[in-house]
Amino acid sequence: MEKQFSLDTIDIIGPDHYAKNGYPHAEWTWLRKHKPVFWCEHLNTDPFWAITKHADIIEISKQPRLFLNGPRLLVFVNDPGMEPSPTPPFRHLLDMDPPVHGEYRTIVSRRFTPRGVRDLEPQINAIAKKVLDDVTGRDQCDFVIDISSKIPLAVIAELLGVPHQDWEQLFQWTNETIGGNDPEFQQGTSAGETMDRARLGLFQYFSEMVAQRMKHPTNDITSIVANATIDGQPLPQLELLSYFFLLVVAGNETTRNATTGGLLALIENPDQWQRLKKNPALLKPAVEEIVRWTTPVIQFARTATEDTEVHGQKIRAGESVCLFYPSANRDEEVFAEPFKFDIGRDPNPHIAFGIGEHFCLGAHLARLELEGIFRQLIDRLDYAELAGPVERLRSSFVGGIKHMPIKMKLNPAQN
Amino acid sequence: MKVAVDLQLCEGNARCMEAAPEIFDVRDDDKTHLRLENPPESLREKLKLAVRMCPRQAISLKED
Repeated sequence: MEKQFSLDTIDIIGPDHYAKNGYPHAEWTWLRKHKPVFWCEHLNTDPFWAITKHADIIEISKQPRLFLNGPRLLVFVNDPGMEPSPTPPFRHLLDMDPPVHGEYRTIVSRRFTPRGVRDLEPQINAIAKKVLDDVTGRDQCDFVIDISSKIPLAVIAELLGVPHQDWEQLFQWTNETIGGNDPEFQQGTSAGETMDRARLGLFQYFSEMVAQRMKHPTNDITSIVANATIDGQPLPQLELLSYFFLLVVAGNETTRNATTGGLLALIENPDQWQRLKKNPALLKPAVEEIVRWTTPVIQFARTATEDTEVHGQKIRAGESVCLFYPSANRDEEVFAEPFKFDIGRDPNPHIAFGIGEHFCLGAHLARLELEGIFRQLIDRLDYAELAGPVERLRSSFVGGIKHMPIKMKLNPAQN
Repeated sequence: MKVAVDLQLCEGNARCMEAAPEIFDVRDDDKTHLRLENPPESLREKLKLAVRMCPRQAISLKED
């Protein structure tokens, strides 16, 4: 039977709720049916319209001049008793709007198209193989620490030309940026302070690298951004450094969490795991299904520039709408049996990468990474089971798994 | 039916080519080129899928 909720108490944004229970799918399912555009008032954040239907999120995302990113990028919940953090001093693709957004996006976009990432495939496969080689022979590991976090980090670091000895430091900064609300990653007294420190660390690091690449450009993305111009002018310092911040953070947490959540789904659905092992040609649709199933980015927000309507509900100028992607990807009106993990699902029009103006720049790279790691796992992982509790990140922005201890039998690579 | 691609929006994600290779061709310039501007009725379902799958929502379908 359907679980019942009250609009007065339903919680879809509290970070504790996510840390304890994972995604509030029962709540979203109820909202999609009863209140698909819901005025949500929650402690410690400004009220917003919660958008939970697939079609409504697409409709909003297709109108980037009516619904802006700039004023409120996401719904951030402050911790009780803490001052709301001031607007973070960033300016990157996520909080830019047309026409500026397009000018900045074009600087690197061709490196991220299917054609642009194609040449990286052997490198990515080699990274995935190496990461698994390092744990081969062990019968237990923390899948997040030992495997899923290592691959995206290595790939983005390679793309940016960051030398190997600095990867650990990069990893720590991204953890602190996304996990500022989580006690495990908090440095200093608050989420805001933790994120500030990480941001300053990253800015400092890349400003040195930029100076170096301006003198001696290479083929890496750091060189492209460092030497880019808009209307004949180099990028201002804030925009320049924020660009790296975005690439590092966006390129890390998301793929890590899709990888972890993907293996978890395969452990929980052994029939699908066997199906994939018997039929590796299903790798591509399996990766799409993993991305739909996990939908690592929980939400972004938009702010209406004029009075408008969504799903028959009046939205006034200045109000924000919060787009809940995991909810859209379980929408009964779009997906047959949305709560079934089906690695052969076709078509699979999920919007885990967003859609429209801000469609994830790294989508094709993420797909290659997931294909690389799961190809290795299909070949080499004889079995895996949970060896302890799955620990989730205290965040209502990125659905993170911090730790996932597994028992496993992992074979050496064939060649 | 007539199909159009907004090249300002198109970024070469190539999902359309997967959905309807008879109609769309994404070339080395990372832009979608139309193989057919007036695809036959038999391709309607594939075309609708391509419209839906386009990450940038750059494809439009007009009835004659």
